[in-house]
Amino acid sequence: MNAHRYSVCIRAGERTIVTTDNYDVVPNEITFLFGESGIGKSMISKAVYGLLDPDDLDVTVNGRPYPEYCALASTHEIRDNSFFVFQEPSSHLNSLMKISDQLSEGSLRLCKDDSEILGRLWQNADRNALRRVLNVFPKPYRPSGGEKQRVLLAMAFKKMDVLASTKDDGAESFFVFDEPTGSLDNNYRNLFLELLFEKYTRRPFTAMIITHDYSVISELYARYRGFLPRIHLMELRRAGARAVEVIDFSAQEYLNWLGEKPPQVSGTVAGAAVLDFGARFSVFGRNLCLFKDAAHTQPANLVIRKGEMAYVKAPSGVGKTTLAKVIMGLYHAHDLAMNLCGMPITGRTGKKVWETRIWGKKATMVFQHADESLNLAATVRETFLGLPLARRLTPQTLVSALGELFEDSVTDAFLSKKVAMLSGGQKQRLNLLRSIVLGTDLLILDEPLNGLDFLSVKKVLSILDDRRGRGAALLMISHNEEIFDHFVGREHVYYLTECS
Amino acid sequence: MKQLLKRKDSRWLGIWLAGILLVGIWDVLFLNRPALLQVTAGFFNTFCVALLVVVFTLLLAWGFALALHFLDAGRNRTPYMLLTFALNLIRSIPQIVGILFGYVGVSALVEAGFIRSPVLIFSLLALSISLFVFIEFVDLLRERIAHFQKLDFYNAMRVCGISEGRVINFDILWKNSRIHILNKLISVFGAAIFLQCSVDFIISVGLSTDVNSVTLPATMGSLLAKIDSKQDILAIGYTLTHPAYAGNLFFEHLMGLTVAFLVVFTLMSVYHIANGYAERHRL
Repeated sequence: MNAHRYSVCIRAGERTIVTTDNYDVVPNEITFLFGESGIGKSMISKAVYGLLDPDDLDVTVNGRPYPEYCALASTHEIRDNSFFVFQEPSSHLNSLMKISDQLSEGSLRLCKDDSEILGRLWQNADRNALRRVLNVFPKPYRPSGGEKQRVLLAMAFKKMDVLASTKDDGAESFFVFDEPTGSLDNNYRNLFLELLFEKYTRRPFTAMIITHDYSVISELYARYRGFLPRIHLMELRRAGARAVEVIDFSAQEYLNWLGEKPPQVSGTVAGAAVLDFGARFSVFGRNLCLFKDAAHTQPANLVIRKGEMAYVKAPSGVGKTTLAKVIMGLYHAHDLAMNLCGMPITGRTGKKVWETRIWGKKATMVFQHADESLNLAATVRETFLGLPLARRLTPQTLVSALGELFEDSVTDAFLSKKVAMLSGGQKQRLNLLRSIVLGTDLLILDEPLNGLDFLSVKKVLSILDDRRGRGAALLMISHNEEIFDHFVGREHVYYLTECS
Repeated sequence: MKQLLKRKDSRWLGIWLAGILLVGIWDVLFLNRPALLQVTAGFFNTFCVALLVVVFTLLLAWGFALALHFLDAGRNRTPYMLLTFALNLIRSIPQIVGILFGYVGVSALVEAGFIRSPVLIFSLLALSISLFVFIEFVDLLRERIAHFQKLDFYNAMRVCGISEGRVINFDILWKNSRIHILNKLISVFGAAIFLQCSVDFIISVGLSTDVNSVTLPATMGSLLAKIDSKQDILAIGYTLTHPAYAGNLFFEHLMGLTVAFLVVFTLMSVYHIANGYAERHRL
C-alpha cells in the first residue's frame, strides 16, 4: 500500500502526551483503527487533520511545527474535502443553531437533498419524528446522544456526496469517524457501514474509523468481503512510556478466537443459587420483565448459581444498568422479590443490611464508566485501600493482583501514579480489578470490556472465567453481543424488556 | 523561583511578606520603642487569633458537615432537623453582632477572673469568631459531598464495601476537595482579620473603657482605636490640605499609619492570594 506516513509528537509543556512515528493513512482506502481507550487514537487523528490548538499544545507533525503543518496546502485540502465526526457529538453541535441549519452549514449546503441520508439513518421514521429532531436547538439532554451521533454521521455522508459531485478523483480527503457508533446499537452500526460503503462505491475517499468495537470485523467479513482489499485493520499499541505504534491487526486472530470453544462449557461448578431475582419488578414508575427468550414469551427469574455466568441483553435505555443497581440495593424497586446469597431481600430491606452484609462481602459491581467510578485524584495504590478484604493487601499481593491485568508495568512509580494520569483502558482494568480482588460470591459487570484493546479483552475474560471456575457467580451486562454470546452459554442469557 | 512568581497567589504571598518586612524595618528604625512593642504585639496577636479561627472553623465545619450528613441519612429525622435549625439560627445572626456578644462574654469572664491565660483568651476569641464564620464552610463541604454522591464514583466505592466514612473523609473531602477547602480557608483568614479588627475597634471605642486595653490582649483593631493612632490617621487627612506635611507622616505618625497599612495591605493581599489560588486551580 502507498500510505502517507505521519510522525506526530504532542506535548503539553514539559510533558509528552503521545508520540508516534508510523501513523499511516492510506489514500482512498478505509482504515479501522483499534486500540485501548485513551492511548491517543483521537488525538493523533486530530493532529493530522489539523484540529489541535497550538496555543494549548506543543505539536509537531513530520518534524514541522504545528502552525506550519496546518498552513500546508495539503492540510488545507484535507480539511476542505473531509469531515471529522467527533466521539462526543455534543461538543460538535452548536447550541445556538437549529440542527436543520447546521446540516446545511458551509460546504454542506452544496448537497441539496439530504432526505435520503436522513431517512436511512432514522430508518424511515415518520417525517414528523424526524422534523422534531431537526427543529431542535441542541442541548446536553436533547436530542438524545444517539440522535446527535446520527446527525453528525449525516453531515459526514453529505460531505462525501459533495466530494463526489464537486471534486475530481485526485482530490485528497481524510474522513475521520471517532467512535461513530459509540452511542448506537449494532443495528445502527450496520446501517452506518452500509451507507459508508455505498458512498465509497460512488466515489472512493480516505477514511479513518476509530473504534473499540471489534465485532465490526465479523460484519466486514460477513457482508463486505468484496471491499476487504481496500480495508485496513490497524491497532495502536504502546511502544514505550508515551510512545505508541500503529501495527496491523489480525482479523483472523479475532475470528479464530471467536470460533474457539466457549470457556463456560467446561469446568462449571454449579451449586446453590447465589442470586434469584424475580422476573418482574417496577422501578421509577416503569415495569420491567426478564425473559429467557428473545421473543419475550417465557418470563423467568434471573437465577445465577455458583460457577455460572449470566448475560442480560436489552436495547439501550431499557434498564440493564438499572437492573444491576436494583440488585445491588442502590435503587429501590417495587414488587421486588430477590434472594441474594441465601438472604431474602425485598423493597423494604434497609440500607444497613447492604452496608454490613452484602457490599464488598457477598456481592459487588463494576460500574460502566471507569472515569466516573474511580477516584481520579487518588493513586493506583490508594484505589485498593479501604476494601473489606479477608486478608490484608500487602505491597506484594497488590503487585500480584495488578499483575493479572497490567503485567510487568506494575512498578513503584505506577502504584504512586494518579488514576487521572492513566489511559482509559488502564482505568477500566483498574476498575475491574478493584472489584475482582474482593472475591465476592456475586460479581456484576456493567460493560466490562469498555475501552479495552483485544489483548486486554482476552485477559479480562480469562480472569472472569477463572473466577467463575472457582465458584463465583457472574452477571454480565454489555452491548458487545458478539463476544458475550460466544462467552456465555445460551441457557444463561436473559432478555430485559419493559412490560405493561 | 520564576515559576513561583508567575503564579498570582505565590506572587502576592511574596508581596505581602515583603511589605510586612519593609514596614517592620522602617518601624524599627523610626518608631519609638513602646509604640513598636505595641504594634508588634498587636500584629502578632491578630495574626495568631486569625490562624486559630482558621483551625477552629475547619474543625467545626468538618464535624458539623459529617454530623449533618449521617443524621440526614438516618431514619429518625428529628436530630437532623434540630441541628439544621440550630445552625440556621446562628446563620440568622449578623456575624459582627454575634462576634461582639462573644467578645463581651469573653471579656466578662476575664474581668471576673475566670480566665487568665492569654492562650485561653485567644482561643475563646477565635472560637467566638469561628462560630459565626464556619457555617458557610459547612455549606461548602456538604455541597462537595452532595456533588460526588450524585456521581457513580460514590456508589461504585460503596458497593466495593469501602466505608462511608472513608469515602467522604478521604476520597471526597481530602482527595477531591482540599483545593476548594484551602481556598476557603484563605478567605476565612482574611475574614477573621477583618472581623477581629472591626469588633476590637468597636469594643475599644464604644462599649467599655475597661475591657480592651486592660483585659484583652492588644490587637490591630484595638490599636487603631487608641488616641495616638486616631491622631495619626487624622494626620493623613491633614496632608490633603497641607501636602508639605506628607513627609512627616512616615516619621511622626508611624504607629497609626503602620496599623492601618497592615490591616488594609493584609486584607488586599489575602484577597489576591485567594483569587490567584482559585484561578490557578480553576475553581
